[in-house]
Order: sequence, then structure tokens, then C-alpha cells
Amino acid sequence: MRDEPARVTPVARRGSAGTLVVLGVLLVVALVVSGGVGAFTFTPARMASYLAQAAGLVSPAETDALGRSVFLELRLPRVLLSALTGAVLGVSGTIMQGLFRNPIVEPGLAGTSAGAALGASLVFVLGGGASALSAPLGSLAVPLMAFAGAFGATMLVYRVSATFGKVNVFTLLLAGIAVNAVCSAGTGFLSYMARDPQARNITFWNLGTFTTADWRGVSVVAVSFVACFVLTLRDAKALNALMLGEDEAALLGMDPQRLIIRWLVLNTLMVATATAMVGVIAFVGLVVPHVLRMMKSSDYGFLLPGSALLGALLMVVVDVVARLIIPPAELPVGIITAVVGAPVFLWILLLQQRRGSAGFYG
Amino acid sequence: MDDARVRQQRTRDDTAGVVLHGVTYRAGNTLILDGVSVRFRPGQFNVVLGPNGAGKSTLLRVATGLAQPTAGEVTYDGEPLTAFGAQRLARTRAVLSQHVELAFPLPVADVAMMGRYPHYGRTPAARDREIVDAALSLVGMTDRAAQPYSTLSGGEQQKVQLARVLAQIWTEDSTAASASRFLFLDEPTSSLDVHYQLHLLDVARGLLEGRCTVVAILHDLNVAFRYGDHFVLLDGGRVAWNGERAEEIPLPVLERVFRVKARRVSGSGDAGPLLQFTL
Amino acid sequence: MHSVACSPYSVLHRVVGIRTQRALRLYATLLAVVPLACSGRTDDAGTRVVGVSKQINEYLYEIGAESVLVARDLTSIYPPAIRSLPSVGYHRALSAEGIISMRPTMLLTDGNLGPEAVVEQVRKVGIPVVILTPGSTVDSAQMLMAELGRRFGRARMADSVIGAWTRGMSDALADSTRWSGAAKPRVLVMHFGQLNNSYLALKRGSAADRIIGWAGGTNAMDSVGGMMRLTPELIARAAPDVIIATDVGFDRVGSAEKFAALPGVALTPAARNGRVYRVDETEVMYFGPRTPASIRKVAGWLHPADSTTTGAR
Repeated sequence: MRDEPARVTPVARRGSAGTLVVLGVLLVVALVVSGGVGAFTFTPARMASYLAQAAGLVSPAETDALGRSVFLELRLPRVLLSALTGAVLGVSGTIMQGLFRNPIVEPGLAGTSAGAALGASLVFVLGGGASALSAPLGSLAVPLMAFAGAFGATMLVYRVSATFGKVNVFTLLLAGIAVNAVCSAGTGFLSYMARDPQARNITFWNLGTFTTADWRGVSVVAVSFVACFVLTLRDAKALNALMLGEDEAALLGMDPQRLIIRWLVLNTLMVATATAMVGVIAFVGLVVPHVLRMMKSSDYGFLLPGSALLGALLMVVVDVVARLIIPPAELPVGIITAVVGAPVFLWILLLQQRRGSAGFYG
Repeated sequence: MDDARVRQQRTRDDTAGVVLHGVTYRAGNTLILDGVSVRFRPGQFNVVLGPNGAGKSTLLRVATGLAQPTAGEVTYDGEPLTAFGAQRLARTRAVLSQHVELAFPLPVADVAMMGRYPHYGRTPAARDREIVDAALSLVGMTDRAAQPYSTLSGGEQQKVQLARVLAQIWTEDSTAASASRFLFLDEPTSSLDVHYQLHLLDVARGLLEGRCTVVAILHDLNVAFRYGDHFVLLDGGRVAWNGERAEEIPLPVLERVFRVKARRVSGSGDAGPLLQFTL
Repeated sequence: MHSVACSPYSVLHRVVGIRTQRALRLYATLLAVVPLACSGRTDDAGTRVVGVSKQINEYLYEIGAESVLVARDLTSIYPPAIRSLPSVGYHRALSAEGIISMRPTMLLTDGNLGPEAVVEQVRKVGIPVVILTPGSTVDSAQMLMAELGRRFGRARMADSVIGAWTRGMSDALADSTRWSGAAKPRVLVMHFGQLNNSYLALKRGSAADRIIGWAGGTNAMDSVGGMMRLTPELIARAAPDVIIATDVGFDRVGSAEKFAALPGVALTPAARNGRVYRVDETEVMYFGPRTPASIRKVAGWLHPADSTTTGAR
């Protein structure tokens, strides 16, 4: 008995573009709000005026030099850095959950964030000299060491979990936990041993903060994010296929091992750069893909841009809260993401327990 | 017909289908396949049988290109498997696995569409969508196209996987030489109830009309004998028996390989004789 | 030809070349900024100082220059009047925007602030950052006070405060000879690091250490330097006869009995003999005009038998 053939439009594509547009609009709104609030408040009109002045379209008004300086030198880089960091963490979480075929995977799980933190801390403590300590302002030593640390940790995890060139996902997860523990211990040790000036910087940075954002930091993170995002977006189909398993992906003509390594490297680069600039921020990579899957679809053609937008949106909002909650001081961003993210994480675990492997997205 | 053409015809016939030439597979120090030479022809339902640990899965992995043999070679229509590129291979052969775990929720149509991945770049064309439509209707899952895959029963999920696999090697013109296709089924019915088992095998048999070579690993001997046209019995990495008529398989061989006592029982109606097993 | 908006800039654009324009703009910017930078030197109504050093802030009050302050850091709580000023946060977790939003003409610090990028950020928007280090001796601290006097037009007042301070120090030190022969109790000064939420010991060479020495005690910590993180084991091993805890670390447990019950502390002679005392960090963490009084207070704890102190202020 043959059924009536019906028009089959893959559901994922229906309405996904709409969701992306909505996320984009929300992000723009959040950026405008974030640009405007804080110790200084700016109206959108004023911000536009500052931007026009900076672009040379309008001649600068001397009466508001301070406001303009604050906006262009401090506020704007900070807002952009928060958005970029959120995008990095969101996309990274999406990629890693695709690699491990498990929704409970964090960007830091392959040791990436912890390794980055260790590398950066080494510069903080051993680098010496006041100029090297200020992460965004000093030499590129910090981001370079962060990448080295993140890459070293990730490759160690990969080596431990790959036999005959094939990666065993479960071993990868366990090795990631072990490497994370070692790196965190290393960072903790360094901050304990650090002399007073360096210790100040490490503990503050380790909780995640956008306070020290500047244009150099923004451009470094922007470049690494855009490069990695574009290169990964091309592989959206392969990430989808990987949902069926590595064998199935291979049968569909892909080379899962090579792709996995490529995604790991790109992911490491992105996360290391961001971590070097802003410190360790947890849970964003866990929550963002989960929300998107529940909201719309698991198709990577949607998830990748979606997680960039939602991650950026989330981070911008969190940064606003960080600035407003205890004025004029600021709360470290990592604390807020942990406070919000940990309960969500537990809830995900609960759901998975209850519904089992039949899928818990309903 | 003159001799040259007869010879050519025979050669073509000799190489058509999947041929394993002295395939040996070693994993570490363990010998899993030992000099296996078999030929799976198109147009007949080839079945691989054997107890657990006989090497059936490994045989399939080697035959589909997922694993490289330690010695020997595999050819498709006379062409060695190593000469196929990954993309071309993906367009020519497909494998329905025992149980495909989908890590994240997707609608049925999306899962089936994955079968067309080797055929399109970034976005599927209208033709790809038509093929997926047709594949889903062939397995009877069209009305579930929008449903999440995870809400289906095991049997329904396997049907969707079959649709995906069919979409992967879908060909309109089944007479052209370039239309050779190869379908492998790795114990596709293990977790299915009787209805789904039979339905799935019916669909698979339906493909035999084209130039499709179908190879299935089945564990239920009676079902295998009912659907199969060619049987390869594997034991300890070697071919214990290779034949086309189920009635010819010597019972002592079965008894030795499966370590049971076997006896033929005449079936009722038009069903052939059944085998009955005891320890 | 379409009409051009008539503004000074458009006129400028037509009359002078681009380089002259730029020079004029730079000049205009300097005109705006230079008064800001210079205003710190005169004690006029335009001076707005954000002070994130409790030592410097205390000195400003001592020399009567407190009117220049518009904001303080979290731990600047002496004198009590300073608490009415808004706080820009913990001095090791500052936010540049928070500081700048006070629209200061100067950020004044002793160099102990974090994160270090804040200094650069504040400078970037044209606000000068003045770093005055107090040094590690009473003399250098007095020079700091004199410098503040000069900057804020209170030089005469500063000199008189320094004079009284010096006299107070010599009085206190004269008294301290009383205990030069006696046994010096081992003293542990426990400060509280708010960024790490852990107790820190003041090592040899620190201001608190010198005060202990003048009061006739000896630091229970053997090592030299600034501060070190304490563990219960370290505390127990130090085995101090007297523990002096600074305000934040003491107040978070509430009472001397509770403090004496803390792990590690409980094993010390100080805890067993009930010799745990509370002091404001502003009294012992740096040198100031109140140091003579602090010496006397600490001496009273260390040598309770000799409680007859002369010239109690």
C-alpha cells in the first residue's frame, strides 16, 4: 500500500530564518541598551552622534568630550567584546555538543578554557612587569600563551582518547575532566604563589570580566571568531550527519576524523582568544544550544548562526546586569552566568534522567 | 551471439555485484576474517548468516569500505573499492545499520534528507526533496514527515532510516550500467516486531528489480531462508557454506556452526519447510 | 549650488586648510583638558578627587583638605565622615566607568589598585592619575602627607600635623623602652583579603609589624614581605601569644570568642588565654598620625601588667 506522496519541506528550514531574524533584532536592541546604561547613561541619539563624530561624518562637539571618550574608548569596546565573547561561547558549545553527540558538553570540557586560563596565568605570574600584566593592553603574550595552553590541553585530551586515529567520545569526556582538573590546579597554584600585584589581576580576571575591554582585545577576538565561524558554517551538513554517528557520517561520504580535528582546532582558537581577554566564563556554551534546540531545531544550518546570535544576546544582557546590580562597582560576569547557568544545567540533567535516551526535547 | 560478446557478457556477469577476493582482516593480533572470497550478485537477495563473533559485521564493514582489509580486495562491478572516491562511493552504496541513535531531535523529513547529503552542496534541490518524498512513501512514513524522530517507535524509526538509505542510492533509471547500486543491511530487523521485520524485507526485496546488489546480515534463519536467494554462512572468519538453495544446506553444518540440533519441519500452506532448533 | 549649514566649522572649512583645522581642533581640546589637569594644583571649587587609598584619604582629612574628595574606595572608612561619600568599589576590583562617572579631575591612589588596566582607561579619557607611594617608613609617610599638603594648598596644616605626629611618635617610643627588657610576646596580625575571602598575615617589614615591634612584641611570622595567605596549620604553627585581627575579618565572625574558635586559631596560646583583639585596619595597616595611639593600644594588650601608660591621648 503506497501512501499519497506529500510535499516534504524539511521542517527545520521552515521558520528558522524567522527565528534568526528575531534573535538578530533582539541583539541589536540589547546592544543599544547596553551601550546606553551604566555609570554613564547615553541616549541612542547621543550614541549615534558619537559614532558619527568618530567616523568623521560630523565635527566633534567639544562640550561632551568626556562622554564621547567614555563611550568610544570604554563603553563601545566593552559592549562589542561582550557580544563577541557570547557568540564565541555559544558557537563553541554548539560545535562541541555536535562533536560529542551529547547535550551536556561545555566548551571547557575538552580542557580548552582551563588550558587557556593556565597559559594566561603563567604570563600573569611569571611574565613580570606591569605592562605585561594588563591582558588587553600589554603585549600579545597573554593571548598567545592562552592559545598555547588551550591547544596543549585539547591535544592532550585528544591524544589520550584517540586510538589508531579514531576518537572515542567517552574517553574524550573523561580525559577532558582530568585535564581540566590539572589545569585548574595549576592556575590555582599560580594565583596562590603569585606576588601581590599579579594575584590581583588573576583572581579578578579568573571570574570573567569585561571591565578591561579595549579595541585591541575586541579586534583580536573578532578576527578569530569570524574566521572560525565562517569555516565551521561550511561544515553544517557534516555536523548534521555526525548526529547519526561517525560510521554513518563516513558512509555518507564525509571524513569524520579529519573534520573532528578541524573543528577542535577552530573551537580551541576561538575559546582561547576569548578566555585570554575576559577570563573564564562558564555555562553559556551549555545553555545556548539547548535553548535553541528546544525553541526551534537541531539542524546545524540554523544552530550555528543561532547560537552566535543568542550567545551574543545573552552575554550582552549579562554584562548589563553586571554593571547595574551594585553600582558603581561591577559584579564579575562569570558569577552571573554561573548563578543562572548552574540551575539550568541541573534541570537539563533532570530532564535527561527522566526521559532517557528517547530524547528529552519532547 | 558471437564469442566475443558472449565472453564480454560473461565477464560483465562475473564481475557484477560485490566481490570479495581473499579478504583477510586482522585487528591487532586477532584474526577476524580469514581469506574470505564471496560474490554477491545483483538481482538476488544475498544473505550472510552466522553465529555471534563469526565476523559478519566485520565482513560488512570491509565490504562497504568502512574498514580496510589487511589482505585481499573488494570490488564493485569489477572496480576495486579503493578506486572509488568518498563522495562517489556514498552515492553508490548505502548501509542500513542495526540501530541508529540520533543524538538530537530532528523531524523525520530531515533525517531522511540526510540520505541526499552526498548529492548536494549547501541546500537541497527540488529533485532531492522529491526523492525523499518518494522514499518516505515507499516505506509508508509520509504522513509522519513533520514528526520528531525521537517520538517514533523502534520500527518506525528503522523505516525512516531505510527511507534515508534508499534516498541515498536512489536512481531513476535502473537499466543503465552507471546505475549500479549496492545496499547493505546490517541485522536491520533485530529490534523490530514481526510486522516491521517483514515489511522492511519486502521493501528491500523490491529493490532487486533494478541493478541493485542487496546484501543482508540476518540472524533469524527461517526469515533468512524465506527471503534470501543466496546464502553465505560464516563461521570463525571463514565461509562455512555458500549456496543458493536453502534446502541444500546440510544440517550438520548448521548444527556445528550454531551449536544446536536442527531439524526440518514441513510448513503449512505455501510457506516452505521451516527449521526447528533445540540445544 | 546647495546651501551649506552655516556653522563655525563650515566657515573654518572654507577659510583655512585642513592642517590648520586640525591644529585648531587640537588646541581647542587642549584648552578643555589642560584646566582639568591643572585644577588639581589649586584648591579651587573645580577640584574633584576620587581617592582609592584609605591611607591617603585619611591624610586628606587630617590636613583639612577633604573637601576635594568626591568619592572613595570601599575600605576607606576612617574617619567616619568619609562614609558619606559614594564608594567606587573595592580598590582591587575597580571599574573605570564608575570612577569616571564621578567626573573627577584626578584619580588619587597609592599604587595599590586593580585591575591595572583601570589606570590606563581613566587616563585615556583625559583624567590624570596621580600615584603617590607612601613608602615603608614613618618618614616616607610624612613626606607623603607634606606632598598632599602642597598639592591641595594645605601645606601649613600638613606641617603642623606632621609636627604633632613626630612628637607623638617620640613620646610613644620613649615609653616603649619600658618593655625593652621584658619578654616579647609573639603577635600575629590577621588581616582579611576581601577579594579572596581568606585571612592574611602581615609579615616582617610591614607597618603593622613595626607597630608591634615598637609596642614591645615580636611578629609570630618569620618571613619578610607584605602579606601571606594563612591556613589553619600555619596559624597553629606560628603559635602566637596574642592575635590582633583587623575589623572586616573580625566582624564577620562577630566576637572574640568566635574568632578564637576558628580552625587553627583555636590551637594557639592566644586563643587559649583569650588574648584575641580587634583593631581597625586603618589603625595598623599604614603609618599615620594615629600610629602613636595605636602603639599604646597594642602595648596595652601585649603588656597588660604595665597598664600605666603615660600621656594617653
